[in-house]
Amino acid sequence: MADYAFVYNPGLSDYELSDSHPFKPVRLELTKSLLEAAGLLLPQHIRSPHPTDEKHLLRLHDAGFVRAVKAVSRGEDAPDAYSYGLGTGDNPIFPNMHKAIMGVCSATVTAVDLVASGRAQRAVNLSGGLHHAHAAQASGFCLYNDLALGIEHAMLEYGMRVAYVDIDAHHGDGVQGLFYDQDNIMTISLHESGRYLFPGTGHTYEVGKDAGRGLSVNMPLEPYTEDASYLEAFEAVVPTALRRFKPDLIVLQAGADMHYFDPLADLKLTVAGMARSYERMSELADELCEGRLVATGGGGYDPYRTVPRAWALLWAAVSRQTMPTELPKSWLEGWQNASPVDLPTELHDNTETWNPTPRRADIESHNRAVVKRLMNALEPIWEEQFG
Amino acid sequence: MLVETMMTKQVVALDSTMPIGDVTALMEQRHIRHFPIVDEGELVGIVSDRDLRTVGSEHPKAKVGVSFKDEVAKIMNAPVITAHPRDPIEEAAKVLCENKIGAMPVVQEGELIGIVTAVDFLRELTTMTGVRASSTRLEVELDNAPGSLAALLASIASHNVGVSSILSTKQDAETVSFVLRVDTIDGRGLADALRSSGFNVLWPQVKQKL
Repeated sequence: MADYAFVYNPGLSDYELSDSHPFKPVRLELTKSLLEAAGLLLPQHIRSPHPTDEKHLLRLHDAGFVRAVKAVSRGEDAPDAYSYGLGTGDNPIFPNMHKAIMGVCSATVTAVDLVASGRAQRAVNLSGGLHHAHAAQASGFCLYNDLALGIEHAMLEYGMRVAYVDIDAHHGDGVQGLFYDQDNIMTISLHESGRYLFPGTGHTYEVGKDAGRGLSVNMPLEPYTEDASYLEAFEAVVPTALRRFKPDLIVLQAGADMHYFDPLADLKLTVAGMARSYERMSELADELCEGRLVATGGGGYDPYRTVPRAWALLWAAVSRQTMPTELPKSWLEGWQNASPVDLPTELHDNTETWNPTPRRADIESHNRAVVKRLMNALEPIWEEQFG
Repeated sequence: MLVETMMTKQVVALDSTMPIGDVTALMEQRHIRHFPIVDEGELVGIVSDRDLRTVGSEHPKAKVGVSFKDEVAKIMNAPVITAHPRDPIEEAAKVLCENKIGAMPVVQEGELIGIVTAVDFLRELTTMTGVRASSTRLEVELDNAPGSLAALLASIASHNVGVSSILSTKQDAETVSFVLRVDTIDGRGLADALRSSGFNVLWPQVKQKL
């Protein structure tokens, strides 16, 4: 049991950007209680985050940006706040936001440390996954980049080669950007194409530069991509890239917004399709790096119906357990009143009520063409870099 | 935007007496596809990779009896279609398209000061239509009437969302469509709010009610 860590404390829900904001930390409590009711999460799995030193933050983030965040956190004015992306509709200013985000960052660094040190084989921080945060810019609900902090921790403190795999519906631009010219870190992102979805980047030709050339991998997908096409693209790109790179540790950003119910994105996966990608990541960690895997949350804006089912399956894959196909009655009863929509009683989606996808063949054929373009661009670089 | 902002200023110009074989060698060595030909400070012609590649071949467009030893004057195109540094780039692009040519020397007061090629225009276009800040695509069809775009922008601003680029995609007598890049991750939230204010948002689309 000690092999699998669920990093958690109630303070992680303090990263709530506003009452009406789509980024809802209640997802954590929904998932945790679902796993406890299903018997998959036991007290010995739960680890409290160890506070991270602010000097580590400044290895990645601009000092002026951090100063501005701290000032607005205390309710003071920071004249340059807006230029740092603070006080926008996406990233509103809220009291103690610096402390709240430091909690999330500490939890991801703790998860990485548990795995890198061997105290756990695998660890999960569902409050983490803030992949849009840039060195000097809050963006897309993300303030500081907990993922990059965790990756940097594994690289600097443990000398590890880290593979970062981002399956959130949005491109993992912040993490990619922070490591774009570095070796020993490969970033892979599968996402809805930037032509249609925020942040607009993540094209196949973004392959990294200098020492990092060939180490940024981007697979943009058509809107309304479904399980079969998604998994086909995943299978064509992710295992090949990871086998070439040979990581010591895999960090998975498991945003849950590629599901059809997600109001922000346009992909059309089921939780079964998402679960398959979690299982594949688990298998690849076993194959390539003695099982070492750190998983975080990320996007996921259908917090009651979708995210708890997806992330319960994520924990099940990480901790090598199986979720029951019926959702526990106690969990449904506990949350139905709080939920604005009817909670599903089954773990898996009933896709019979879903509209058929027009242009399905076009979508699949386009995704296949993009996979080919991507691999044609990367294979020669990998051949040169890794032989 | 003007031609002078995107032209290549280090232009390689040749003398009309240069042997074709030397020009061909220079083309391969420097990866240049278009050479203006200048005699005594005056632009007298232009030669492209296509003109050079047919020399000595049985290609139907090859000039009969011309060899690599001949002067480039024998195959250069004259008179030359040129651009002025103060030409708007869309006008210069239109001239390229209509004449089906790949490049234009840029001439000011009779002096050759640069060259623009089709690739330069493509680069500008990809910059113009590209993503300069983290943003979401929003496509809206508006009435083709004064103030309709202003009303859209005011509505977007009222949601505390910024706009990083605007392109007009189509226009007819009644309607005009715009593609905007808006700096929010919640494009559908913004689209829904705009729809409830009466705007015809084409992207993001409405999701199936489940």
